[in-house]
Amino acid sequence: MAWLKGKRILVVEDEALIAVMVEDMLTSMGSEVVGPVGTIEAALDLARGEGLDAAVLDVNVRGERIDPVAELLMGRGVPVLFATGYGEVRLQSGAAATVIDKPYTQEKLARGLMAAMGIASNGGRRAG
Amino acid sequence: MLAARTTQSANANPARDGGTGFGAGRAEHLETLYRLTDRLYRASGQPAMLQAALDAIGEGLCCDRCSILLFDAAGVMRFAAWRGLSAHYRKTLEGHTPWRPDTVDPEPIFVADIDQTEESEEVKRTIRAEGIRSLAFLPLTAQGKVIGKFMAYHSEPSAFGEAQRALAITVARQIGFSLERAQAEQARLAALRDLVESEQRFRLMAEHAPVMIWMCDAEGRCLHLNQMLRRFWQVEEEQIGGFDWRQLLHPDDVQNVMQHMGAALEQQESVLVTGRYRNASGEYRVLETLANPRFAADGSFMGLTGVNTDITERERAEKALRDSEERFRLVVEASPAGMVMTDGAGRILMINALCEKLFGYDDGELLNREIEVLVPPAMRQHHPGLRETLADRPPPVAKREVVGRRKDGRDIPLEIGVNPILTSDGLRIIATVADIAERKRAEAQRELLLAELNHRVKNTLAVVQGLAHQTFTHADSSARRAFEGRLQALATAHDLLTRSHWESTSLSQLVSDALQIGDTSRQRVSADGPMVRLNPHAALSIALALHELVTNTLKHGALSCDTGVVTLSWNYLDGGEMLRLEWRESGGPMVIPPRHKGFGSLLLERTLARDLDGRVELCFDPAGVVCVIEMPLR
Repeated sequence: MAWLKGKRILVVEDEALIAVMVEDMLTSMGSEVVGPVGTIEAALDLARGEGLDAAVLDVNVRGERIDPVAELLMGRGVPVLFATGYGEVRLQSGAAATVIDKPYTQEKLARGLMAAMGIASNGGRRAG
Repeated sequence: MLAARTTQSANANPARDGGTGFGAGRAEHLETLYRLTDRLYRASGQPAMLQAALDAIGEGLCCDRCSILLFDAAGVMRFAAWRGLSAHYRKTLEGHTPWRPDTVDPEPIFVADIDQTEESEEVKRTIRAEGIRSLAFLPLTAQGKVIGKFMAYHSEPSAFGEAQRALAITVARQIGFSLERAQAEQARLAALRDLVESEQRFRLMAEHAPVMIWMCDAEGRCLHLNQMLRRFWQVEEEQIGGFDWRQLLHPDDVQNVMQHMGAALEQQESVLVTGRYRNASGEYRVLETLANPRFAADGSFMGLTGVNTDITERERAEKALRDSEERFRLVVEASPAGMVMTDGAGRILMINALCEKLFGYDDGELLNREIEVLVPPAMRQHHPGLRETLADRPPPVAKREVVGRRKDGRDIPLEIGVNPILTSDGLRIIATVADIAERKRAEAQRELLLAELNHRVKNTLAVVQGLAHQTFTHADSSARRAFEGRLQALATAHDLLTRSHWESTSLSQLVSDALQIGDTSRQRVSADGPMVRLNPHAALSIALALHELVTNTLKHGALSCDTGVVTLSWNYLDGGEMLRLEWRESGGPMVIPPRHKGFGSLLLERTLARDLDGRVELCFDPAGVVCVIEMPLR
């Protein structure tokens, strides 16, 4: 996973055990994790202030939709990967999203980020 | 005869009074005429008149032979009365006449000598054989038309003198007048007879007519009741004068009937009124009375003539119909569902309050409106077309979901059941209408809850994965990956169940989800079997089992090298009660049975068998792993 080496990736996940696991997965692939954070407010702070290469976002953070964070990031041109238990994600803005289903393995996460960042040329927006 | 007349008239020897000895004097003539007039005046019938006429002819013209002939209905001149003529003579010369009924101004003809005429020999012979030499023809007329003639005969050639001719003409006129008078009298009597007969006929008809007919005078007193009406009230004919039908009126109807009848008598006009009357057996019957005023020839009011019709049964039937309609209306009104009925053109004939409320209308507001007002504008245009196709469809038409338009413009989801019925009044369409907004909301709520549940379950699976991640740390990454794989399998099956609303799921879909293994491997797996639906429990178990088999074959079995293949097949057993699923590997590396059973084997053979209430057989055949699952389908 050489292409993830040194990439700064924001992780938003309110479930601590999952957050730690994602952090481990990304770290083991050489990325630098920004966060993880478990509130929309904290996520918005990081999304505004940090230099980011990509973000892995939980869709529902303590009962709140992730949309404001996602839209802010997309507005900055930061690739976003949604991780969710809801079969599909439709942002309130109507924009299409790259999604991976929970639970996911490290391979699935890597494929998802690749799709979101447009690195792979498989053309699909949805990563399995 | 016309020829004879001309000749004879021209050659006639003018008679002189008393000159021939055949004639009588002027005084005698007056005497004769006086007697004739008197007798004709007194005669009581045509035969008596004719006899009087013959007497006058014989006397006045001094002949003992004479006759009177009259046209019959067919226009043939026939002997009506005669003297001194043989039957042969009458028979031969009957019909012989110089005039027809339409001859204008017929002239009398006096024949002095039959031998001097140009008559046929046969006629001359007959006349001579009768001993007749001279004859007189006198036309009898009535109202300007020839009705007959009288004849006078002499045995010798004779000249009819002026006085005799004048007398003959006068006698002929007298006879004509009398006959005319007699005929007029006869015609009058015949007319009278006809009138009486006609009157009797109508009386008979009225009497026996199968309707009740009556007559009253200008004061409303009963004059006549026909048989049927007399029977209705059991009144004898002689009692009619004192009969008062008012006594038999139902007390509640007295005012109305009397008011109508009184007005008809007063205004001398027609009346139509219905009332209940007690008949002879004490039963009240409903009679509809139609009466017309009767006027005398001078225009004076004579009273009323009326017909009563017993409409008791009709009233009963109408009431029964009204009651039945009322019951139907009550049922519809009380129905717990919205109900509406239209005619074939979509006009609302009946709608219950519930249905009107559903659409936001007041009670009765929708009656006679077009059903299309309840249809959203976008669909309104082709709604009539839909309705028309209904007429051909056999009832009942299945319920279906539609969108209705409320009075306030809001659209509401509805379920309608539409039934066309063909009645004697034409096509009727009855529909039940149910508001399914609540149901729709509940359905949406359920969808939302399911999605939330799925989300939570999968989040929980992710947390479990996180736990395992922490627990296994870096000590045993293969064990961790196996665990993650199983979690994935569980999550995938879960997704599938969520998509099918946790009701049932198709086995082939489950199989294709389990075989997400990359194209090159996938091509070496064949999967085939009939359509089978699995309940959620069985689906989760089979998904886990397939995951184990796929993982194993990728690692150690047929799909771990380039040559092996997997055949996955399933079919029904016991007539559809059981499912048999077989996983068979071949062409892979030789299989060596494991020394101790791993979690995979345990999961398959023990957990799965128990979960599915079935039998799982895992066989490590050297040629390839075979797994057979048999389970009941519930």
